[in-house]
Amino acid sequence: MSASKQNQTSDKQDLSPEHTTHFGYKTIDKEDKVSLVAGVFHSVAKQYDVMNDLMSFGIHRLWKRYTIDASGVRPGNTVLDLAGGTGDLTAKFSQLVGKEGKVILADINSSMLNVGRDKLRDKGLVQNIEYIQANAQYLPFEDNTFDIVTIAFGLRNVTDKDMALRSIYRVLKPGGRLLVLEFSKPEYELLNKAYDFYSFNVLPKIGELVAKDGDSYQYLAESIRMHPDQETLKVMMDNAGFEQTSFKNLTGGVVALHKGYKF
Amino acid sequence: MVSQLLTSTLEMVINKTLALSDSNSSLAKLSQKTLTILLEELGFPLSFSVCNTTEKPQIVVTTLNERADCTLKTSLRTLRELKAELQITELIKQNKLDLTGDIKVAQQFASVAENLDIDWQSELAKHIGDIPTHKLMQLGKQASKKVQFVTKQIKADASEYIVHEKRLVVTRSQIDQFNQQVFKVSEQVDELDQRISQLLSSKLKTNH
Repeated sequence: MSASKQNQTSDKQDLSPEHTTHFGYKTIDKEDKVSLVAGVFHSVAKQYDVMNDLMSFGIHRLWKRYTIDASGVRPGNTVLDLAGGTGDLTAKFSQLVGKEGKVILADINSSMLNVGRDKLRDKGLVQNIEYIQANAQYLPFEDNTFDIVTIAFGLRNVTDKDMALRSIYRVLKPGGRLLVLEFSKPEYELLNKAYDFYSFNVLPKIGELVAKDGDSYQYLAESIRMHPDQETLKVMMDNAGFEQTSFKNLTGGVVALHKGYKF
Repeated sequence: MVSQLLTSTLEMVINKTLALSDSNSSLAKLSQKTLTILLEELGFPLSFSVCNTTEKPQIVVTTLNERADCTLKTSLRTLRELKAELQITELIKQNKLDLTGDIKVAQQFASVAENLDIDWQSELAKHIGDIPTHKLMQLGKQASKKVQFVTKQIKADASEYIVHEKRLVVTRSQIDQFNQQVFKVSEQVDELDQRISQLLSSKLKTNH
């Protein structure tokens, strides 16, 4: 089922504010978001990497490298790559933590997880990677398990972000850190306007042409606008218990990397 | 983000080059070791980590500073001289290189670089065929000879113009002649100095 058809179904429901959340610009029942987002990612999974390169002109690779560089990862670390999708961060972490370390690629979406697993196996990365289908709000790990948790371009798709941040905080070891790489609010008005034009006029058309699914990329553009801005997300991380929280704008704030520690 | 662009390009070039050379055994010795280079010209560290999680060892380039087994602080110019393993201690003595951590790691990395043995001709032949490669190599050699000849010619013409026509610079023989004259004058001054001293001392004796 495409995202647009799902939206139409949800719009017909009578929704009270405390039980609602956003799915792009639409207000939907919280319980529906997981399946609606799942529909989007089942639809785009196979073309996800190609689309990422096309949409970002390949810059997403540099944003992810920046995240790795900011992580302070060491050999022997245990890393959780949450909403890891097709495993770009997992691949690098796997090389850097070595045989003594471990990386867990977790995603709520089985299609994305399958594409990621195939890609990493093709690269010969099998020794220290585990795959788990998991919801960020209910992480199936013991307390104090991970040295590093990353969530790249995933938090905006989570139904209850505060709950997900608390869940991540729980599974981090003391001294561990969370890195959130996510689309954010551009710092400059001119860039903001150009970005808006690109997102709502060009992006869905590329999606239609390449992934044969313009609706999902319309959702992508809308979900980015509905995601908390840099300062709001920082406050959310503070509220979840993280300390020394900070963020760094990348490409003029189109993307921001938030970092917080658990002590 | 410039640093990430640089590290990703470096990583790609290094691993492509290593794939063409049989350096697996020497790289395996460096498994999970990291060499960090702090270049004066760059505002960030360059860390080279040898990873053992794939069948063939690979080098991952990052700007992570925390995991270095050996850190080299140097300049881009000195880095070129680092390829020879034995150069490291010499460069440290000359204060061109500041090393902290395990020197063996730096030496092993230098040894991997030194032992890269790539047959570029056969690699090129795989892509464009034997005959075009042979022709291209011949063309390359001819072009290189021509460039060397032209460079030599330009140098000779330029020195002729500067030294003999414009007389902006003196020749080596002129410098040698000048040095000899200075040496002679210096000797004469010394002799004169000795004679004055002798005269002064004899005059002092007669006064007493």
